[in-house]
Amino acid sequence: MLIDKEKCIGCDECHPYCPVGAIAAVEWEGRSVSEIDQPGCVECGCCYKRSDVCPVDAIYMPKLEWPRSIREYFSNPHVTHPSTTGHGRGTEEMKTNDVTGRFTRGFAGVAIEMGRPGVGTSMRDMQTVAMAIAKLGVEFEPNNPVAELMSDPKTGKFDERVLDERVLSAILELKIPLVRLKEVLAAVKEVSTKIETAFSLDLISRVDADGSTPVLTIAKEAGFTPRPNTKTNVGLGRPLFREA
Amino acid sequence: MTHTLHRQGTVEDLREDYVLLLRTSRFVNHEGSEKTMQQIWEVISHYSEDLVNFGNHYPNWDGGELYNLENLQKAKSRIIHVVFKDRERIKACLKELKERDFGISTVVSGLCGETEKICAEIGIAPHTVNYSLGVHGRTEQLPKGETLEIHTMCGHAMVSYHLIDHMVKEINRGKMTCQAAAKKLSRMCDCGIFNTYRAEKLLDKMTTGCSG
Repeated sequence: MLIDKEKCIGCDECHPYCPVGAIAAVEWEGRSVSEIDQPGCVECGCCYKRSDVCPVDAIYMPKLEWPRSIREYFSNPHVTHPSTTGHGRGTEEMKTNDVTGRFTRGFAGVAIEMGRPGVGTSMRDMQTVAMAIAKLGVEFEPNNPVAELMSDPKTGKFDERVLDERVLSAILELKIPLVRLKEVLAAVKEVSTKIETAFSLDLISRVDADGSTPVLTIAKEAGFTPRPNTKTNVGLGRPLFREA
Repeated sequence: MTHTLHRQGTVEDLREDYVLLLRTSRFVNHEGSEKTMQQIWEVISHYSEDLVNFGNHYPNWDGGELYNLENLQKAKSRIIHVVFKDRERIKACLKELKERDFGISTVVSGLCGETEKICAEIGIAPHTVNYSLGVHGRTEQLPKGETLEIHTMCGHAMVSYHLIDHMVKEINRGKMTCQAAAKKLSRMCDCGIFNTYRAEKLLDKMTTGCSG
């Protein structure tokens, strides 16, 4: 996003709308105007059409060239991601698991939502976490838009050209056998001290016939305390996926 | 997207925050689902008095007012989001959706124990669960308390921490009511999953009691 300084009247109304605090007042030709810090801006569009806050339409979106365009794809949920043709950062994950069978019994899903809640992440931090996880020989979800940014999904290495790009959030998604879950969670815990951002952590499991899930005990053994709220797919989708 | 999962708050606060999400799978049952999704909106319209917020996958830039339930019953929806504040009302809606057997994947986002009980009470066996294992890494960058609770009601982080603080100042200056501020924050959330009812209560706690 950019601000046309000729048009800007320096009212500062747009400043609080920026999730990453990238808008500030600067002196320009003897008056105060607002400016968007370009390395910090994640192109989420909050200061633009979403809020429609500027009284003089001084804020505008220039044509974004790759790799900067990555920022918008991941940060603005209204924009269609070219690699997935869907909106947002992720996939259908467990929301349609009753019909897709993506997570079957004996497996767990782990999603590391980098930059969430609301602090943003660089792709360099994404790479740091991805490489720590990849060392365990696990595979990243190929349908997640992060996959196309990796030059080597086996090592978790990203394309060098995207490392300095910042987004509001992006997700490292993986599916692993239950027997590997504890070591993956341990690796996540260890790498959490080596990054500049925060992340939210998701753990997905099929529900057993008695209503329990096998992952909770493993998560607790790995030192994680599940929060009281969850997302539950209640199994009303059709045709129901039949597990072998 | 896991945009409804990591809503922060105490158990008591979360008792007034349930999101019902229905979506087709582009790999399985999206083709030919347009009419079914419209019929689901028709069922949801039976609960219009109980809805805190709602939306589909198009921008909800008017905080829920842009969409009325009549329009949504004619729109093309790939995803349906509905926010309830009352456990009994989401239960009633879920029960009706189950009985109509639309065949569209349905997710309840809310307190785990309550969701399990709701499912048991209406004869549903939960299929898959997504647990929140919390926030890790440089958590000192996060705001505390009510600001974080309000912010996480939009999982895409469109409701900026700074905007919440700004609204608190505006309320304290007498320039805005808590209700109007909650509505203004809600506009930022495309999906219609922002719980304006809960946000208003939290803003009231954060300010000097100017709720209008």
